Amino acid sequence: MNDSKLVNVTINGVPLQVPKGERIIESARRAGIDIPYFCYHPRLSMENGANCRMCLVEMAMPRTGPDGTVTLAKHPKPQTACSLPADEGMVVETETEAIVKARRGVLEFLLINHPLDCPVCDRGGECPLQNNTLHYGAGASRYIEAKRHYPKAYPLSEHVVLDRERCIQCARCTRFTQDISGDAQLDFLKRGADTQIGTFNAAAFSSLFSGNTIEICPVGALTSRDYRFRARPWDLATQKSICTECSNGCSIKLDHRDGLVLRVNGRVNEAVNEEWTCDRGKFGLPASISGERLTAPLLRDGDRFREVTWDVALGVVAEKLQAAGKQAAVLAGSKLANEDLYALQALCRGGLGSVRYDYRMGTQSSEARDAAAMLFGPNPAPTGIAGLEASPWTLVVGSDLAVEHPIVFLRLRKSWRFGKSKALEMVSSSAPANTHVGAFAWSSVRYADRGLPESLRSACSLLLAEMPGLTATPEIRAWAATGTPPADDTASRRMATALSTGPGTILVGEGALSGPDWREVLVALGHLAGLTGSTGSVNRLVSGCNDRGAEALGFGDWQPGTAGILAGAASGATPALWIAGADPVTQYHDPQVAIAALEQASFVVVSDIKLTATARMADVVLPSCSVAERDGTLTNVEGRVQRFWKAFEPRGSASPDWLIAARLLQRLGKPSVWFGWQDVLADMRSHVAAFGGVSLDALEKDGAMLVAPQVVD
Amino acid sequence: MGNPVTATRETWGPIAQGMALTLKHFTQMIVARDKTSVTVQYPEERREQYPRTRWRHALTRHEDGLEKCIGCSLCAGACPARCIYVEAAENSDERRFSPGERFAARYEINMLRCIFCGYCQEACPTGAITLRKDFELADHHRADFLYTKQMLLEPTPAPGAAG
Repeated sequence: MNDSKLVNVTINGVPLQVPKGERIIESARRAGIDIPYFCYHPRLSMENGANCRMCLVEMAMPRTGPDGTVTLAKHPKPQTACSLPADEGMVVETETEAIVKARRGVLEFLLINHPLDCPVCDRGGECPLQNNTLHYGAGASRYIEAKRHYPKAYPLSEHVVLDRERCIQCARCTRFTQDISGDAQLDFLKRGADTQIGTFNAAAFSSLFSGNTIEICPVGALTSRDYRFRARPWDLATQKSICTECSNGCSIKLDHRDGLVLRVNGRVNEAVNEEWTCDRGKFGLPASISGERLTAPLLRDGDRFREVTWDVALGVVAEKLQAAGKQAAVLAGSKLANEDLYALQALCRGGLGSVRYDYRMGTQSSEARDAAAMLFGPNPAPTGIAGLEASPWTLVVGSDLAVEHPIVFLRLRKSWRFGKSKALEMVSSSAPANTHVGAFAWSSVRYADRGLPESLRSACSLLLAEMPGLTATPEIRAWAATGTPPADDTASRRMATALSTGPGTILVGEGALSGPDWREVLVALGHLAGLTGSTGSVNRLVSGCNDRGAEALGFGDWQPGTAGILAGAASGATPALWIAGADPVTQYHDPQVAIAALEQASFVVVSDIKLTATARMADVVLPSCSVAERDGTLTNVEGRVQRFWKAFEPRGSASPDWLIAARLLQRLGKPSVWFGWQDVLADMRSHVAAFGGVSLDALEKDGAMLVAPQVVD
Repeated sequence: MGNPVTATRETWGPIAQGMALTLKHFTQMIVARDKTSVTVQYPEERREQYPRTRWRHALTRHEDGLEKCIGCSLCAGACPARCIYVEAAENSDERRFSPGERFAARYEINMLRCIFCGYCQEACPTGAITLRKDFELADHHRADFLYTKQMLLEPTPAPGAAG
């Protein structure tokens, strides 16, 4: 849309140089000139845009007359700055008498049917309509007729409540569902004064990203069911944080009051989530850290727990760990911060001499992970999230991307929307008929009972047929030829045409390499990546919040792995087991194994924020802190280390896991020098090469990338 | 001591004078006390407060008995002492406390912090919170100064006694 050519425009007498075609509202904003608006949003398209008419400005363009003289020709009508592309010589006035009057008129029209229930409305206090009316509107209303009335609080979905009276038809939410999330569930119904937002046939608004519409609504028409009437903006304090609900690591803002996170809003981070959040994070994060929390250490006393002091609890744990020594084991949860994992590692290796620690709860084996690292390079996600925008094609295998990696999905969709990328996916037939990626995919291949390796093999075979000149060894050609072609190869052929355009990106979900056929999948992926020249851009997407950080720390590199640790606990080979922030009873891929192991284990200590099913089976339970109650860093799926800030004090005597580990180290006679989380980070930076480049300055901004390990052959 | 007469006058005269004054005020107090006396016999009687006196808060009701407070928290936002705490909740047709969608589930004022500025009354969009003339706010325990919604709310008007 914008080319790099700069043009001269004058806004309110201020001469500016701006890119040709840039919307005047953006130019004015950069120059510090305030133009009020409702419907404009820099990330939304202009289809159905420029409808609120709030950003009216007067505009004049130079015109060369027949005699060659240049005069300034003023446009007879005011123009909307949000849809006005900058051009050479353009002169814009935003504060003329006519504009002031026009804005007042626009606001009067918008307020005709807008109820004045601001004291009740959740948006009151942070409402663009309220603010603009105060600054640009008339002091009093002239409207005395009856307003339009609808039943209040129409439940659009489980999360979103619609108040049709308050809607000003700015089309931000409809454009969000059409442009950004792509499910296109919201649209305008009816016409004229009856126009309202709704879904087709009043179906539930079931988007995975519905929460964003609440955030971008410029009035209180769309509000959150969870946050409804919980607080007013001035009651809340806000803290920057990182979402822990999946591995994408969205930058978020926690709005909290009295030690409770009441809502989550997106925070701008162009490298990760731009400004969006998914519903899982937006509504799931407050739910996951509120509710009944552990506040004091618990010690098993027969069938019950007894509250004890930290001194007593840590004494018991330290004694058991010391006795177990090298046989002690640690299982870490995916939501633990980098500092926690590092401290646990230090406890195991430095304090106990044990290498029995792991974080993985899935079926993916260390062999699969290591083999993939051998094949595709040590950096598990070389393309990254923002990098997807530049990729000509992106193949997704083994992941329901929108559910598992919502922000990666949004970025993939964005790259497709601007025509830069073809999305390709391979899904099993058990996936729903319309997958999220499939809705815009160039080709969506379904592997019935043929399995993923066979589908990849036929993609290779069709690619070789498509491009006879492709360099491939006879072995690869022979391998590709042996496969059984699919019964209907339309989608595969179409995929081959995209793959033949050159190197692209392959996104490999955790599911792809977790099955028993991971070797075949890896071989087929290797051949496909090799044939398309994309070996350097195969991204293995981890699912757990900080799994990438754990991987970078080498947390699960050691035998015997989670399965071995649980087996050891059951057989007595692991006399002491610390489960930190994990819940194997519900998270381990074979819960029965985990339950059996915990039942037979001689000593289990669990540190968690809530009394989980695993904690109920423990001998000692230690209260730990959620992401809102402490500082630290997390590593997201693309290897970006991001900082989160403490929002409020922990409940009771809860303590972050790194501090528990540090206190245990002290009791084991090997005290650490960690007085704060920064000390752990500093230690980590000097001892773990991957974290070497993580500076506190970068953490204050958009985060710092892990340093990819060097290949050692 | 010289003349006993002089001595008696000098001794008893001032006493008699003083007692006469006392007697005068005493009779004035008994006979015509409303006209001249300034002392109020608290706690048997209380001085009339000025019309705009701001003392203890009250949460008022509509004539139909519904609470005027809608839990909007504007009072808490306006309060310079940050002594008001409001938690809102949603009305339902079965459990209705106030007209409209929203009501105050919790409404608390820390009277130890309140400076009786009356900003809350000014901010209130429904005229729910008012500062009234009850000035006897002393109490024995700090916790007792945390006035809850039940303490602040006017009693429900008796049926039929509208207004």
